[in-house]
Amino acid sequence: MTQALLFKDIDEPNLADIAVYERRGGYEQLRKVLSMSQDAVLSELDASGLRGRGGAGFPAGRKASFLPKGDMDKYLVCNADESEPGTFKDRELMQKCPHALIEGIVIAARAGGINRAFIYIRGEYEEQAQILDRAIAQAYDAGYLGERILGSDVSVSLVLHRGAGAYICGEETGLLDSLEGKRGNPRLKPPFPAIEGLYGGPTLINNVETLMTMPQILRMGGNKYAELGVSGSSGTKIVSVSGHVQRPGNYEIELGIPSREIIYGLAGGPPPGRSVKLWFPGGSSAPVLTAEDLDVPYDFDSLAKAGSMLGSGAIIVVDDSTPVLDVALKTARFYRHESCGKCTPCREGTNWTVKMLERIEAGEATPMDLDIMASVQEQIIGNCLCVLGDAMAMPIGSMIAKFRGEFEKHMQRAQLTGASA
Amino acid sequence: MSGPGPGFEYIQELQGRAIPRASDGSRTPGWDQPADLTKDPAEIPDPAVIHVAPALRDEIEAAMARYPDRRSAALPALKAAQRFHGWCSPQAILEAACVMRVTPGYLTAVATFYDMFELEPKGRHSVYVCTNISCSLRGADALYEEIAAAAGEDGEINVRHFECLGACDIAPMVSVDNVYYGPLGKGDAKRLVEDLRAGREPLPELRLALRRTAASELPAEHEQ
Amino acid sequence: MPRPQPSEITFSIDGREVKAPEDMMLADAAKLGDIEIPVFCYEPKLGPPVGACRMCLVEIEGMPKLQTACSTAVKDGMVVHTRSERARVAQEAVVEFLLINHPLDCPVCDKGGECPLQDITFGWGGGKSRFIEPKRHFRKPLELSPLIAIDRERCILCYRCVRYSQEIPEDYQLVLLERGAESFVGTFDGHPYVAPFSGNIVELCPVGALTSRPYRFRARPWEIEDAGSICTLCPAQCNTRLTVRDERVLRVLDRNHPEVDDGWLCDKGRFAYQAMHVDERITSPMIRDGGVLREVGWDRALAEAVGALRRGGSATAALAGGGATNEEGLLLGRLLREVLGSSHLDSRDGEAVSLPHWRALANPKLAARVSDLEFAHAVLVLDCEPLDDMPILDLRLRKGARRNGVKLLIATERASALDSRADAAIRFAPGRGAELAWALAAALRGEPVDAAAQAAGIATDDLHALADALRDAGREIVILYGERVLDGDPGALLALADALGLAEQDGGGLLGVPAVANGRGLREAGVTPNAGPGLGLPALAGGHGAREIARRLASGELTALYLLQVDPVLHYSDAELWERALARATTVVAHASFLTPGLREHATVIFPAETSPEKEGTITHPDGRVQRLRVAAAHAGDVRAEWRVLAEIIERLGGAPTPPTARALSEALFEDVPFYGGLTLDGLAGRGLRWPELQVSNTLSDAYEEAEPKLRKPLRAAKGKLLVGTYRSIWAAPEVAASPALAFLTPRQRVELAAADAEALELRHDEAVVISDGEREVRARVVLRAAAPAGTAFLERELEEDGANVLRGPHVTIRTVASVEAEAAALIAAEEARAAAETETLAQAEAEQVT
Ligand SMILES: Cc1cc2nc3c(=O)[nH]c(=O)nc-3n(C[C@H](O)[C@H](O)[C@H](O)COP(=O)(O)O)c2cc1C
Ligand code: SF4
Ligand code: FES
Repeated sequence: MTQALLFKDIDEPNLADIAVYERRGGYEQLRKVLSMSQDAVLSELDASGLRGRGGAGFPAGRKASFLPKGDMDKYLVCNADESEPGTFKDRELMQKCPHALIEGIVIAARAGGINRAFIYIRGEYEEQAQILDRAIAQAYDAGYLGERILGSDVSVSLVLHRGAGAYICGEETGLLDSLEGKRGNPRLKPPFPAIEGLYGGPTLINNVETLMTMPQILRMGGNKYAELGVSGSSGTKIVSVSGHVQRPGNYEIELGIPSREIIYGLAGGPPPGRSVKLWFPGGSSAPVLTAEDLDVPYDFDSLAKAGSMLGSGAIIVVDDSTPVLDVALKTARFYRHESCGKCTPCREGTNWTVKMLERIEAGEATPMDLDIMASVQEQIIGNCLCVLGDAMAMPIGSMIAKFRGEFEKHMQRAQLTGASA
Repeated sequence: MSGPGPGFEYIQELQGRAIPRASDGSRTPGWDQPADLTKDPAEIPDPAVIHVAPALRDEIEAAMARYPDRRSAALPALKAAQRFHGWCSPQAILEAACVMRVTPGYLTAVATFYDMFELEPKGRHSVYVCTNISCSLRGADALYEEIAAAAGEDGEINVRHFECLGACDIAPMVSVDNVYYGPLGKGDAKRLVEDLRAGREPLPELRLALRRTAASELPAEHEQ
Repeated sequence: MPRPQPSEITFSIDGREVKAPEDMMLADAAKLGDIEIPVFCYEPKLGPPVGACRMCLVEIEGMPKLQTACSTAVKDGMVVHTRSERARVAQEAVVEFLLINHPLDCPVCDKGGECPLQDITFGWGGGKSRFIEPKRHFRKPLELSPLIAIDRERCILCYRCVRYSQEIPEDYQLVLLERGAESFVGTFDGHPYVAPFSGNIVELCPVGALTSRPYRFRARPWEIEDAGSICTLCPAQCNTRLTVRDERVLRVLDRNHPEVDDGWLCDKGRFAYQAMHVDERITSPMIRDGGVLREVGWDRALAEAVGALRRGGSATAALAGGGATNEEGLLLGRLLREVLGSSHLDSRDGEAVSLPHWRALANPKLAARVSDLEFAHAVLVLDCEPLDDMPILDLRLRKGARRNGVKLLIATERASALDSRADAAIRFAPGRGAELAWALAAALRGEPVDAAAQAAGIATDDLHALADALRDAGREIVILYGERVLDGDPGALLALADALGLAEQDGGGLLGVPAVANGRGLREAGVTPNAGPGLGLPALAGGHGAREIARRLASGELTALYLLQVDPVLHYSDAELWERALARATTVVAHASFLTPGLREHATVIFPAETSPEKEGTITHPDGRVQRLRVAAAHAGDVRAEWRVLAEIIERLGGAPTPPTARALSEALFEDVPFYGGLTLDGLAGRGLRWPELQVSNTLSDAYEEAEPKLRKPLRAAKGKLLVGTYRSIWAAPEVAASPALAFLTPRQRVELAAADAEALELRHDEAVVISDGEREVRARVVLRAAAPAGTAFLERELEEDGANVLRGPHVTIRTVASVEAEAAALIAAEEARAAAETETLAQAEAEQVT
């Protein structure tokens, strides 16, 4: 059921050390791409069908090909902000196998004709940042980074940049502003980062897992990699399973297996006597699914068809012991706290939603408020500057739609008992 | 100059009263703050006037040198200043601004955007308790209360709610001075505080770095 | 940087076919079809759109999501629906969102009636609110600065004000603090937002969150009238819109002129209107009677002046400055040359500049436009500080550098506010702008530079670097120069222009910053010692420039002085010489609004001067744009039109009659100044016309022969002494001191020192010191500046107290007030001790005698 590519050697002692990594075949793909043409690297990535693992699922090869050709500073930014609730895969990958990320970065840089790379790691991951610091220093010493890598005419510099606590900096343009030393407000698109990104230059942004998959693709060959998984969702994916499951943690799966196998099979399902009430298939930004959806294949298209999304591959399971209102409040409060405040619908909509949910909790709401709340979510979706607003509106909207009865029951009960928060 | 206009008294009267705040009663520091007209405008601090400790200056300058644009060093500079001064005090921000050749306003705007900067004096140890969904499903809210109660009011330990720290596999969890521990069980809150006060590494056996992947711990029937 | 030349496209909006320049933002292009798209955050003046408020969402066929019209460039064939069901729902949603936290306290809001939020709520809102939660509440209104109040409840977080602070003056003082719904507009640690251009945020704010404290609650929009005017507090001559109520000016707003001010105002221009209505303003004529000035009627004052001028005759001199109009300058010239028989008149400090030089400098081929600063390949800022001397250009230069990559090169004596924006900045020795220009010209021509560089006090490496930067920048170069650079050898600047081939370039040229608002116009109207109207040969030769006038007044050769809005003791260098000159003069007739030091002590007759809103006539912008002043407010008190006063004096002295109306007088001016030929007041309308662009501009020949450089001796360091440099702050103006709202900005003398110099002299930051040139002294506070050039002390000119104008330099000594006082005390003590000893010896001697 699991399929180990990224996780093959993951628990090997001292894998974070360059010597161990090299002994396990590390940096061989880096050597290989140095002698390949840029187009050849690109076509391997294209053939693999790899879709971005950061949330949006955009084909990685296509994105790299958008960068303009020509002699200018081009940038690669590795998105290691990993702040989507429920997601902790990049943490484990960076902690245990930092060199695979560096190797992936050089491969991606080669594909995009890029000379300057940055890793934007969330500030809370200080332990992982220190591991990366060491790994980057080792890679520079070994000649895998810097000017004329291993004597080739490829040069890539790499700087690790620590964030300081803001979910919005995971959004690619918010990340760019943050990396430029500003408040992490998302930017208007277009222009897209591939054309005008970091410091105004062409910029490729990829998630940690996406980049770490690249050495695997080169090792196997793009076509071979594409045979893994299902059509439209090739390869393996690390899923982070958390919440009401008996074995929370990261599992590498082949895309397309039934979700039930992940939640019950790998993660052990809810504690004995409990059943799945709802689950977020792709981080807290994904519309929730219920027990009825457990057999949906876990891949990009199937989850989209089921009305949700694969997102960052983080499954949060909520069992029948928890009121949906609690989940809604946690979710909405998170997005209110993390909204950057730049655009109106997100800033005001998240705030308003929290206030309404608090009123429901306090027993001061009527079913009409549920309608207003649902309509507020609709007013947010599609109208914001970036999709953080949608990231609250979609799950909240789905909870109202799927658990309306429970909300109403709560209101009645709270009104009767005069319960307050 | 312009005296108080009509309506002014009414507004003054309003100001005297307790006015309703946001629904949870919270207020953002600064919302109600007028400018102090006795102060000078906050321009870029002049190095001829502001003294910056050489070690701090070196650290910030090294950060600036890493990027094509010196402003990119804002976060590292603020972190360094926070470390040197214990918190992002106005003086700390002023010094960072002086080295970076930006206004202190610019850095304050940045500092207040990110959760990891402390804009008030804070305790020596930081304990971030993740209370986001996954952790709270596994008892994080109660854990926060326990730690806060154990830490008491003396300000030595800065206990904060935090959004998802990216460690839901060890929920409920804490980040103590940037090191992750979890899952915390009964009695761990008290032990955590005791360890910190005693100057020991807290809950050493719960350190995240010691864990193997969940996949490797799977019962035999799940192995490939 | 060539200016963009967009092509025209056709698009469809709400069923109408509209033509618009390609890539214009939809929000603007819609207006061409008479369709309004509501916006809050969009303000093209602030730079690229940010798409933050989401108010402008519209539907565009072929795009799945609604688009923000503020950030969508129109393309040929685009089909836009601004009122479709989807667009309307989204627009209503945004209004609803914006209002949930807005207090809706319109009845007590200063913005009421002229508020975009009100208008857009009415036009695009759903007319209902479903928000029943408690709103945010803050203490309000709060002070953001002495000039601006902030009401954070009303703020809709459109970011205009903070973007302004970051993008336009680039002062980064006003920022957004905190995040998300908790965001608020504020400053570092509660410091006030005080900056030269802070007031613009009041006009930018689309709600009543930022209001002008001086204007607060003074009027409602339906009680006021709007009057177009021009600010004459500095040569920028920004176009303004005055808010007038009951004939009083209550507010000054911008009247966007892309070729003049680009839609911004400095705080002096915005708030100094208050000086019109203060008690200190002179509003009736005065004469000196028994040593004191007292108010008298017009007849008495005119008779007094006429009598004195008749006695002065050809021993009369005249100076003009401030916002004196071209017409007033013309009449002043007629009074002096035709009536009194004197050609001693000037409109600038220092030695006279020769007529060929003036003519060559006015050559239309060399004339740069203000907007060239934004599109040239490079701009050389030479011997001026735009922020102080012509503030609005500071913003224009930043805009050019930021948006169009204009190369900014700075050559000044003092550190410039623009240094941080500049591609290269060099410092020369105080007062040596001309030598620098010679040196630069030589470097560009590949000639030896050593002598000139030494005289300019700059290293040859720096000089060559600057020359290379200029050469490499591209062909279109603008030299923005302070007219001080003409004080040495006026040929230097022309040589530099020649070396750069500026006459051959369309997008480049010279732009001179005069010391006074209408410096250029006064000169062209004939207020210069060796040229008549239109820089023609004067009716009378042998005129002396200002400095020589001072000497001759002091020596008694000249006896009468006519001052049109200028007080040389305050405004000109060598204040001490002017003190003596005015003291010696038997007659000093002045037109003035305030009793500045020279007038207070020495004026014999004072006529109240008009302020620009009270005035009629024309003024000439430094780039040759003739602009029209119209009466916008009633004369205060007994003030009369100054041109009529001059006309009356001319007539009483038997001169030729003056045209009877202001309009006729302007026509006479256009006739007298050949290159103003063809101008009409109606043609000037509200925007003015640049004469160098007119057909008649070739009435000025461009023949000019370069002469050998005249270099002054290098300035040498002297032990224990510093060179002295001076500058005039934007705030050094009687109007600033007199305006209650601005008074807090009135500068006090401060001496800027490099840290090393301060250390050598054992001086600390903020210490009180005495600066002396050996004879004269000025008190100041020490200000340490890392950017201050070593070896030079910089002091402010034109202050009413302790102005640096009295110092003659080139060297000064600086001592602490404490040490000076201690020395004085020691002297006194020594004297006392000596006296005591003497008494004692005397007493002893006496005692001895007795015994
Ligand atoms: C609010 C928000 C938060 C995001 N956070 C992350 C994140 O923490 N890590 C990440 O890799 N991508 C995150 N993304 C997605 C990125 O914008 C971007 O799509 C991704 O980094 C691209 O990399 P990929 O193509 O390799 O997936 C976030 C997006 C949004 C809208
Ligand atoms: S104060 Fe006014 S200009 Fe500034 S953000 Fe708020 S609404 Fe916009
Ligand atoms: S005006 Fe377009 S988003 Fe604000």
